[in-house]
Amino acid sequence: MIKLNNINKTYFGAQPLHVLKGINLDVEEGELVSIMGASGSGKSTLLNIIGILDNYDEGDYYLAGKLVKNLSENQAAEFRNKLIGFIFQSFNLIPFKTALENVALPLFYQGMNRKKRNMMAMEYLERFGLKDWAEHYPNELSGGQKQRVSIARALVTSPKLILADEPTGALDSKTSAEVMQILREVNATGITMVIVTHERGIANLTRKIVHLKDGIIESIEENDPDKMDFTKEIK
Amino acid sequence: MALRRNKLRTILTGFAISWGIFMLIILLSAGNGLKNGVTGNFADRIKNTYTIWSSSTELPYKGYKAGRFIILNNKDIQFLESLYQVEEVSPVQSQGGTLVFGDKSRSVSMEGVKPIYKNIQGIKIIEGRFINENDMKNKLKVIVIDKTTNEELLRNTEETSMIGKMVFINGLGFKVVGVSKGMAFGEMGQCYAPYSTLQTIYNVNEYYQLTFTTKGLNTKEDNEIFKAELKRRIAAIHDFSPNDQRGVWIDSEMINSLETMRIFNTINIFIWIIGIAMLISGVVGVSNIMRITVKERTNEIGIRKALGAKPRSILLSIVMESLVITTIFGYIGMISGMGVMEIVNMIMEASGAGTNSEMGMSVFVNPTVDIGIVMMATLVLIVSGVAAGFAPAWNSVKVKPIEAMNYR
Repeated sequence: MIKLNNINKTYFGAQPLHVLKGINLDVEEGELVSIMGASGSGKSTLLNIIGILDNYDEGDYYLAGKLVKNLSENQAAEFRNKLIGFIFQSFNLIPFKTALENVALPLFYQGMNRKKRNMMAMEYLERFGLKDWAEHYPNELSGGQKQRVSIARALVTSPKLILADEPTGALDSKTSAEVMQILREVNATGITMVIVTHERGIANLTRKIVHLKDGIIESIEENDPDKMDFTKEIK
Repeated sequence: MALRRNKLRTILTGFAISWGIFMLIILLSAGNGLKNGVTGNFADRIKNTYTIWSSSTELPYKGYKAGRFIILNNKDIQFLESLYQVEEVSPVQSQGGTLVFGDKSRSVSMEGVKPIYKNIQGIKIIEGRFINENDMKNKLKVIVIDKTTNEELLRNTEETSMIGKMVFINGLGFKVVGVSKGMAFGEMGQCYAPYSTLQTIYNVNEYYQLTFTTKGLNTKEDNEIFKAELKRRIAAIHDFSPNDQRGVWIDSEMINSLETMRIFNTINIFIWIIGIAMLISGVVGVSNIMRITVKERTNEIGIRKALGAKPRSILLSIVMESLVITTIFGYIGMISGMGVMEIVNMIMEASGAGTNSEMGMSVFVNPTVDIGIVMMATLVLIVSGVAAGFAPAWNSVKVKPIEAMNYR
């Protein structure tokens, strides 16, 4: 699903910052992978490159067998819309749109008519127990509810890949557990998932843990999430 | 749309646009009103006319002292008729007198004129008719009286119209055939009778005013050359210095009207400059609000991009927003500006303000503006609104989605 060959990325600021120094990583279809590392290790940058939200300087990145390099804005938008679903730490919901409108937005960019996309969005909200909150605005929802809305939004286009950047970072432990449970269930339906986290407890719920340090992959750890007593491990 | 989220700012910016269009319309309308009012006084006059007035000299010449009064006579008429540029000479011979009708009397100035005089002076007939060729040919004793005289004579009588009535001037009976609007000065009435009739009665050879129409003199230059030559020749007839600034006054309607038009064109240019400056301030306002709006929406734009928004859709949404603001508020300004001027126009027409009925002169008439010009101005504003929104929109499209999302 994802194939990274010698990915390099430098931020050119007042002080050039070489954040990724040759990343090689393969993620197979249906895998549940976490990327761990301290802040500044480059894990978010890596996820942004995988999500085509940022570009890279050197190397090759193949997504679903296609080379992602020097894409036009239109091609990138199409990739993101059709293949990838995003879940962010700060939810990134649009504040002046209702939960339903937020979930329906990716379908709008597919050119789906209003009636159909609202119906589909409602289906996904219902799946995550948010049917009664469909007409509410993000600031009327709790953190857990917001994250479930954003998961619904990520899934509504039936993407092949879900990218989650610290999905539980803004949530308490109980809500975190619920959200992780949902993500594991989503993965169980065959959707590939990459989660960036700095919490060991979260990483322990994934099958493959990629340890990133100073822009290089330190180690890749195989893991069996079912062995872990997950309520104790979180925080 | 983002419009909903910042109502006050949107309304304030919109107000600048409405105000720009509004003031442009008010200014243009006021300018038009002034122009219509002033030129309306001459609108019925034909342009190719000249008037020569008697006056006194101010230079001594050939033994004559300065200050001699030059009176025009039949020699001048013959001379004018000999010129190929002159179409028709219309002498004016004035007789003072007392007009008597029943037990009423009023002092009037009676002018013997030709039918063409109506067009030369732009005389407006409000009842009946002016002197015609038949009156001239048959030397009929008919008369056109002015409005004020007409009202005076009809006061406290059963009569409603003076047309067909016989009035007496200096003991001679004249039949009233028309009533003219205005041109009465104070207590003195102004009447017109056929030139031929008065010529038969009084046989005068003295004129204080000669008017004539010309042909083939179309430009200001033509007229100025003709006027200078005319002055020189008349000076020779009456033996006064060709360099005398006075002696006789010569007035060319064509030169006057071109001068008037030039003044109004200048006023018009001035109004347009002010109006366009106001429009520009409106457009700058829109451009500013769009820049701020796009900055505020940077996060949202980043999110939309992550969800698969194409550059075109983002560009379109921002430009549309700008378009909606300028169109709605431009329209409001346009409608209110035109509405205000229509109301002003209605009130003025109802009350007769802006025109002096006693003098028959107007200064401010029909202060409205051509709808085409208004539409053009609004269209220009809308196009500029789109342009104003386009630059910030384009910048936002170029930003990488992750940068936009992380923008604080």
